[in-house]
Amino acid sequence: MSVAQASARIDTAQNTAVADVMRKLAVAWTEFEGRLEATPLIRKLTRGRFELSDYHAFLINLRQQVKDGSLWMSRAASSIDEEHLELRSALMQHAVTEHRDFRMLEVDFVTSGGALTTIETAKKNIGSEALSSWMFHQASQPNPFGLLGAMFIIEGLGSIKAAEWGHLAQRRLGLPKEAFKFLLYHGENDAEHMKEFEEMLRLVLPDDAVAERIVTCARVTARLYALQIEEIAA
Amino acid sequence: MLALRDAFITGTGVFLPGEPVGNDRMEDFIGRVGGRKSVIGQRALRWNGIATRHYALTPEGDVLHTNASMSAAAVMASLADAGLGREQLQMLATATTQGDYLVPGHASAVHGELGGGALELASFQSVCASSVMAAKAASFSVRAGETDCAAAVAGEFSSRWFRPSFYEGTALIDAKGRLPMEADFLRWTLSDGAGAIVIEPKPRPNGPSVRIDWIDLTSLAGRFDACMWAGVAPEHRGSLIHAWSHAGPRAAHEAGAIALLQDFTLLKIIIRAWIGVYLEKVDSGRIDPKGVDWLLCHYSARSLRQEIVDVLEGTNAMIPEHKWFTTLPATGNVGSASIWMMLDALLKSGSAKPADKILCVVPESGRAMVGFMMLEVVA
Repeated sequence: MSVAQASARIDTAQNTAVADVMRKLAVAWTEFEGRLEATPLIRKLTRGRFELSDYHAFLINLRQQVKDGSLWMSRAASSIDEEHLELRSALMQHAVTEHRDFRMLEVDFVTSGGALTTIETAKKNIGSEALSSWMFHQASQPNPFGLLGAMFIIEGLGSIKAAEWGHLAQRRLGLPKEAFKFLLYHGENDAEHMKEFEEMLRLVLPDDAVAERIVTCARVTARLYALQIEEIAA
Repeated sequence: MLALRDAFITGTGVFLPGEPVGNDRMEDFIGRVGGRKSVIGQRALRWNGIATRHYALTPEGDVLHTNASMSAAAVMASLADAGLGREQLQMLATATTQGDYLVPGHASAVHGELGGGALELASFQSVCASSVMAAKAASFSVRAGETDCAAAVAGEFSSRWFRPSFYEGTALIDAKGRLPMEADFLRWTLSDGAGAIVIEPKPRPNGPSVRIDWIDLTSLAGRFDACMWAGVAPEHRGSLIHAWSHAGPRAAHEAGAIALLQDFTLLKIIIRAWIGVYLEKVDSGRIDPKGVDWLLCHYSARSLRQEIVDVLEGTNAMIPEHKWFTTLPATGNVGSASIWMMLDALLKSGSAKPADKILCVVPESGRAMVGFMMLEVVA
């Protein structure tokens, strides 16, 4: 077998492994999306019963997880060994890009009439507690590649759900666009993320145990994230 | 344990009313709400790619057929195709979005049109996927050995819902006298006709038959609100306490509860949910995309958004476009009946060869449902 043939065979195995994981992640995502749709908060939004107090509760509860996001990513980066520096760089860059996003959320809260101290001092809800503990625990494991599955779920929220929710909320509440920057900004910003995500998978696949871990991590994260939204009952 | 028999589709039949109606003449048939030309019609047609369709009413509003008579005609055509007659039929399962009666079921009306002696009936009312429910009931009647000749028929008479009187004088019309997208879009999408299949425990002696490998149906209504519906006004969609029958027919009509409506925001989410069900079947090995020779789906490949195609390709689940077989541009979207129109056209085209696998996919936006049928051509 020539070097070219050998490398083509590796490419094919990798493509299959990436496609298999992407398929399982897509299934986990659609299950998650259905579960979100049935939560009391999102029902209010889609059935035209969403009030300003619901929007405020939404922002307060999202803030916890958005703030934690770049922190667990940083911790995960520090748990990655020297064999995987490329992935470590990607996570660190990701963390830098997002670590001030919760400020945007606070501005939306204030622009829509909330008091800054209210959102700054709010407690995590039960789902947020569970989600946060899970993420940091995972990030503290050596080479926590399963977290790529968690990223898929959370990135999906940004690229698919945020703008959809932002538009519905804006239409319902009739406030200016400036009060929905966090939700609307995310939707516009995520077109390239899927390709970047596949590139990250290529840094750790093919590997059956890692593949299994990524999918499990996605499913647990999705379940806990949905719990966080379920717990928002304004 | 009871061993199930095989079930074969031994005949298919279609009934399309009237002449094909081109895009430029649609409004002559379905009418102009408030006397005005629709503003979204051309956009809807670009999206759905339909060039001609059939209507069971005339531009004057005269009714040429009923849902029941079209359904009965399709059953007779499918029996004739199988080389059988009404007297051989033992069981009839019907599918429709809305029968001619409110009560009793559509199956009774179709049996009435067919005439003849006793039948076992099953009457399924949903939207597009009702066809799959009827096919499953009919095929299991044969597989269980209870009957030797069953038919599944799907019929739609959508156009009567689209006449101006359904909208005029209701809360659906805005201050400028226009119909909103959620009400107008379906007027440009759905049309009339019926399709049927005959199911027997053996292949037919001459000509190709199709073995039914399996039929799966998944509803996600426990998670999603209704997406295409009639019977409750848009603002009360999630609360059936406000359904039409409680307010009475006159008040319900004024509120906009007696019209077919589609929620486009939710539709995008439900398309992803359908894809999720499909990917799960690919993942579990129930569907092998590479093993599918023909894909029959009453959505066109072109109307899928690029991001969905990307997901299918990125997960090794895409069935290439040249394997998609459709009659959509010519017959229009006939709801539940579309799948039998496609199967009938595929089998009669002679393109499907023995051992070819035919995957039928029937998504229903009504309330997040999707049906799948895997068929295999036998000589």
